[in-house]
Amino acid sequence: MGPEAAGQRLDLPESLRTPALITGTVTAGSLDDQVLRYPEGVPARKWFVAIGVSLSAMLLGLVLIGYTFFQGIGAWGNNSPVFWAFGIINFVFWVGIGHAGTLISAILFIFRKRWRTAIARFAEAMTIFAVICAAIFPLIHVGRPWLGFWLIPYPNQRGVWTNFRSPLLWDVFAVSTYFLVSLMFWYLGLVPDLASLRDRAGSRRRRAIYAILCLGWRGSATHWKHFEKAYLLLAGLATGLVLSVHSVVSFDFATSIVPGWHMTIFPPYFVVGAIFAGFAMVLMVLIVARETMGLKNLITGFHLEVMNKVILGMSCLMGYAYAVEGFSAWYSMNPVLHHTFMNYISGRYGWAGWLTIWCNVLMPQLLWFRRCRRGYPWMVLVAVGVTVGMWFERFVIIVVSLYQDYLPSSWHFYAPTLVDYGILLGSFGIFFTLVLAFARVLPVIATSELKADLPGSQPGHGGSHG
Amino acid sequence: MRAGRTSPLLWGATALGAAGMLAAYFVSGAPRFWANWLVWYLFLLSVALGALFLVALEHLVAARWSVPLRRIPERLACLLIPLAGVGLAALGAIPVLYPGARPEAAADPVLGGKAVWLGLPFFSVRVAVCAALGLLALGVLAGGSLRQDQEPGPRFTLRARRFAPAAMAIFALAVSQAAFDWIGGLAPAWYSDVIGVYLFSGTFLAGLAATTLAVLHLQDRHRLPEIRFDHLYSLGGFMFGFVVFWAYIAFAQYLLMWYANLPDEVWWYRARTLGAWLPVALLLAFLNFFLPFFALATRDAKGDGPRLRWVSVVLLAAHWLDMYWLVFPALGATPLFAWPELGFALFFLGASLLWVRGAMARGADMPVGDPFLQEGLRFRL
Amino acid sequence: MAEVFGVLGLFESADALLAAIPGLRARNLGRLEAYTPYPVHGLERALGQRRSPVGGMVLVMGILGALTALAFQWWVSAVDYPLVTGGKAAGSWQAFVPIMFEITVLSATFTAGLGMLLLLNRLPFFNHPVLHSRAIRGITRDRFALAVEAEGAFDPEAASAALAASGAREIEVLPAPGRGEPLTARSILDVLAGIAGACLVAGFLAYWVVKLAPVLPPVSHMLDQPRLDPQRPSAFFRDGRGMRPPVPGTVARGCLPIRLASPEAAALLVNPLPRTPEVLARGRAEFEVRCAVCHGVLGNGIPTLSAAYGAKPANLMTPAMRQTPDGTIYGVIVLGKNAMPSYAADLPEADRWAVIHYLRALQRAQNARDEDLP
Repeated sequence: MGPEAAGQRLDLPESLRTPALITGTVTAGSLDDQVLRYPEGVPARKWFVAIGVSLSAMLLGLVLIGYTFFQGIGAWGNNSPVFWAFGIINFVFWVGIGHAGTLISAILFIFRKRWRTAIARFAEAMTIFAVICAAIFPLIHVGRPWLGFWLIPYPNQRGVWTNFRSPLLWDVFAVSTYFLVSLMFWYLGLVPDLASLRDRAGSRRRRAIYAILCLGWRGSATHWKHFEKAYLLLAGLATGLVLSVHSVVSFDFATSIVPGWHMTIFPPYFVVGAIFAGFAMVLMVLIVARETMGLKNLITGFHLEVMNKVILGMSCLMGYAYAVEGFSAWYSMNPVLHHTFMNYISGRYGWAGWLTIWCNVLMPQLLWFRRCRRGYPWMVLVAVGVTVGMWFERFVIIVVSLYQDYLPSSWHFYAPTLVDYGILLGSFGIFFTLVLAFARVLPVIATSELKADLPGSQPGHGGSHG
Repeated sequence: MRAGRTSPLLWGATALGAAGMLAAYFVSGAPRFWANWLVWYLFLLSVALGALFLVALEHLVAARWSVPLRRIPERLACLLIPLAGVGLAALGAIPVLYPGARPEAAADPVLGGKAVWLGLPFFSVRVAVCAALGLLALGVLAGGSLRQDQEPGPRFTLRARRFAPAAMAIFALAVSQAAFDWIGGLAPAWYSDVIGVYLFSGTFLAGLAATTLAVLHLQDRHRLPEIRFDHLYSLGGFMFGFVVFWAYIAFAQYLLMWYANLPDEVWWYRARTLGAWLPVALLLAFLNFFLPFFALATRDAKGDGPRLRWVSVVLLAAHWLDMYWLVFPALGATPLFAWPELGFALFFLGASLLWVRGAMARGADMPVGDPFLQEGLRFRL
Repeated sequence: MAEVFGVLGLFESADALLAAIPGLRARNLGRLEAYTPYPVHGLERALGQRRSPVGGMVLVMGILGALTALAFQWWVSAVDYPLVTGGKAAGSWQAFVPIMFEITVLSATFTAGLGMLLLLNRLPFFNHPVLHSRAIRGITRDRFALAVEAEGAFDPEAASAALAASGAREIEVLPAPGRGEPLTARSILDVLAGIAGACLVAGFLAYWVVKLAPVLPPVSHMLDQPRLDPQRPSAFFRDGRGMRPPVPGTVARGCLPIRLASPEAAALLVNPLPRTPEVLARGRAEFEVRCAVCHGVLGNGIPTLSAAYGAKPANLMTPAMRQTPDGTIYGVIVLGKNAMPSYAADLPEADRWAVIHYLRALQRAQNARDEDLP
C-alpha cells in the first residue's frame, strides 16, 4: 500500500499506526535524481578508500588460491579425517548469505510487503555476489581444479557420465541454477532503471551503452503487462529456489551417516540459517549504504526495524532447531551421537559451539527491545555477531562432527593454516569489491519499482494493500 | 444457518458413529480402536492448532487483509476445548500402542535409557501442559477478540500483537509434542528431527483449508458478503505455497532416510511404502501435493470460490490420510479400512461439525471491534 | 507528407492518463498505447489489452524441463552406463528429484525472462519512434504518455486535437522510423568477417591452451610426481639407481639355490622326471626357446645366430655328449660353461630336467639305429 494511502490513523496509538516507508517528500523525478546521481557521477573519496581495502583483500585471496593450485590442498589444514574444513565452511556460508536477497526480492514480493521495494535491488545484487563467492570454493577445494568441467554431464571421450546420485552434483546444479535465476531476476528488474539512465545520459557513448543494456526499453503498457507477469512468476520461482538450494546444500551433509550430520531437520534448518545470516549481512550493508549515500529517507528506520524483526524470528527458529537436535541426540540413545554432541559444547572445539549459541540464539534476543531494533550500536553488534555465529555454526557442524566420528583410531585434531585464513579474508574482499562496484555503476534502489509505490503514483481507488 | 434439516442429521450421524466406535472397541480390539482415536485426535488437533496459528500469525506480522476473516479461524480454534478432553482420553492408547511405555521397555537396550520419558506419567504431563498452554493461547487470542466486539478499540490489538510471539512458542511446543510423542512414540526406537516441522506443515494446511471452507460456507449463507476475490486469493495463495512446503518437508525426510539406508531408521519408511501401503502413500502424495498444486497454479484459480472449496475438501481429506498413514502402519502391513473407521469418522466429523456450528454462532462474523477492519475490507491485491 | 508513426501526448499524472483513455478509445483514431515510467494499475484493462500468456508458457516449459531432466538422468544412470553407487538401484528416481526440480525452475525462469523479453516484448529493439522522441526523457522519469499510433488512414491533426482535449500537456508528432540502414552486402560481409575473426582468435587461443595446459604446472604436476619410476635414476640411493638389484642371496621363484662347485660335481644327479610325452613336449618347448638359439634346433651347434654371435656353441650330438651323464648337463645348465652363461634363472628346476629328457630324445633321433624303427 502507498505509505500514506491509509491516511494517518491518529485514533490509534503510535505503535499500531502504519509506519512511513518514505520520509519527506519524494517524487518520481526527485527519486531519480537522488538515486541515479551515483552511477552518473564520480564517487566520493571514501568509496575509493573502501574499494582499495577490499581489492587488497581480494588480491590476497586470489594469490593464495593460486598458491593452493600449485601446492595442492596440502597448503590448507585439511587432514584425515577432517577432509572438509574452511573450503566447505566458506561455501555454505556464502551460499547462505545469498538467500536473504532472494527472500527479500522474491518472497516479500509475493506477500506484497511494500517495505521490500527500497532494499530489494541491493539485496538481489548481494545474492549474486555471494553466490559468486560461494561458487569459487567447490572449484578450488578439489585437488585438480582444472578438471572441474568433469562435473558437467556432456557426452565425452572419457566415456563416463556424472554421478547423478551424488548430492555434490545436485549442489552443482542447484548453485548454478540459483546464480542464473538470480541474475535473470536482477537483470529484469534493472531494465527499466537502465532505460532511465539511458535517457538521462550526457554523452553519446554512455547513452549507447545504457541503450544496449536496457534492450531499447520504452515503458509501453504492453511491455509492462508482460513484464509484470514475468516478474511475478520469477518471484514465485525464485521462492522455490530459496527453499531448495540451501536444502540441496544441506543434503551434502544429511545424506551421509556422519554423526551429527544425518539429521532430517537439516534442510529447513539450513534454509532458516541462510536467511538469518543473509539478513544480518544485508542489514550491515544497508546501514553503510544509507549513511554514506544519503538514502535515509528511502531506507528508513522502519526498514531496519522490520529487518531486525526478521532476524529475531529466525534466531528463535534457530533456537528451536538447536533444541530439537539436542533432544534428538539424547533421544537416539546412540553413544556416538551423544559423543559428537558433547563435542559441540566441550572438548577442544567446545568454545566454538558456545560462541555459536551465544551469537545465534542469545545475543539476538536483544532485538526484543525496541531500542536495539532502532539504534545503531546494538543492531550492528547483533548483526556482526550473527555473521560470526553463523560462520562458526558451519565450523562446528563440519569440523567437530568429522574430527571424532566412529573410529577412534582415526580421530585427529584440525588446525587451519594461514592460507585458509587468507582465502576466507579474500572471499570477503571479492564480495565487498563487487558490492562497491555495483554501488558505483548501477542504481542501488529499484527506482521504477519505488516510483510505483510513492503516494499518488497509482490512480486513486482508495484501496489498501496490507 | 438452517438448523432445521442439518441438525438432526448431524446428531444422528454422531450417535451412530458413537455406537460404531463402541462396537469397534469390543469387536475389532483395543489397538484398532486407539489407532482410530489417535488419527482423529491428531487430525482435529491439526485443524484447531492450524486455525490458531493463522490468528497468531496475523497478529505477529500485523496483516490487514485477513482482519475481516479472522473470526473464522478463531472459532475453529475453539475445537481445542473439547480436544483437550479427547487428548487426555487418548492417553488410553499409551499402554496399547506405545512400546516405550511398557514395563519391558526398561530392559531394552535402546528404550531403557529413555523409559522415563516414554512412560505414561511423564507423557501425560507433557500432554496436559501443552493442552493447558493451548487453551491459554486460545483464551487470550480468541477470547480477547470476542471481547473486542463489545469494547471496540486498539487495546486488544496491542495485547494480541505482544502475545503473538508467545502464542507462536506455544504453537511450536504443542505441534512438536504431538509429533514427537504421539507420532514418534509409536516407533520409539526411531526418530526424525523434522517430524515436528512436518506436522506443522500439515497443520497449517489443515487450518487454512478448514478456514477457507468455513468462509465459503458462510458466504453461501450471505454471512460474509464483503469478502472478495482479493481475500480468497490470499487464502488460496497461502494454500498453494504451503502445499509446496509440505511436499518439500515430506520428500526431504524421505530422501534422507532412503539415501542413508540405515536399518534402524529406514524400516519406518519401508513399512509405509512397501506392499499394501504403497498405494496409500501414492494417494497421499497425489492428494496433498500434485492435485492441489496444479489445481491452484493459475492466478484465477487461487481466488475462485468453487475451486477453493473442493481443493480445501481434498486437502482436509489428504491431511486425514496423512495422519492415517503415519499411525496405522503400527497395526500391521495391511491398511485397515472398514466399518470401525467409518464409525469413527461419523462420530468425530459429526461432533466437530456440531461444535464448530455452535462456535459459528458466537460473536459477530467479523471482528467488528478491530480498528483495522475497514482497511481489511478495502484490501486490494 | 512524411509518414507519421503516431501522435504522443504527455500527461502529468497516472490519474490524468487513465481519465483520458476512455474518450480516446471511443474516438477510434488509431491504435492506443501508453508509456509510463512504472506499471500503472488498471492500465491494461483500460486500454482493452489481452492478458499476458507468460503464465501458460512458463507452465508448459516448466513441465517440459522437469520431464527432460528426469528422463535424461534416468537414461544416463539406468540405460547408457548403469552403475550401482551407494547400493542404490541404477534407476532410483528419488535421487533424480533435486536436479529435476532445479532444471524445472531454470527452464521456467528462462522462459519467463527471455520469452517475455524476446518473444512478447520483441526486445532488443532500438529503432522505435518513441525512443527518438523528445518525450522519452519524461517517460522514463515521471511523465505518462499516451500515443495514438497510425493504423490505416490516420489524421495527425485530429489525433493531436483529441489528445489536447483530453488533458495532454505536450503533444509530439512521431515520424515513422526510417527504413533503417538497409542491409548492404558490405555490412553483411563486415559482420561475417567479424564473426570469422572472433572464431579464429578463439580457436587459436583454445588450441594453444588445450595443447600447452597439460604440460604446464600445476596441471603437469600429475605427470611429474616424486616417486620412483622404472628405468629411471634416483638420487635417494647412493648408487643412483632407481631400480634396486636383488639383495645377494635372493632366490628367484622356482629356483632353489644349487651349490655346485662344477658341472662335473653334479654328475651323479638322477633325472627325477618321468619320460612322458608331456615332459618331452615341455622340454622341447623350452629347448627351442632357450637352447636352440645357440645350439641349433637339432642341437648340432649350427644355430641361425652363429654369424652374428661369434662364439662357437657346442655340438650336442657328438658321441662325447651322448656319453655325458644327465647330471653334468644339469650342472652346465645351472653353472654355465665357457661362453654359455648360467641358465639357472631362466629354467626352473623342473624345466631343466625336461630339457635334458628332450636332449636325449634328440640325440637318439639324430643317431637312430635300425631297431628304433617300428
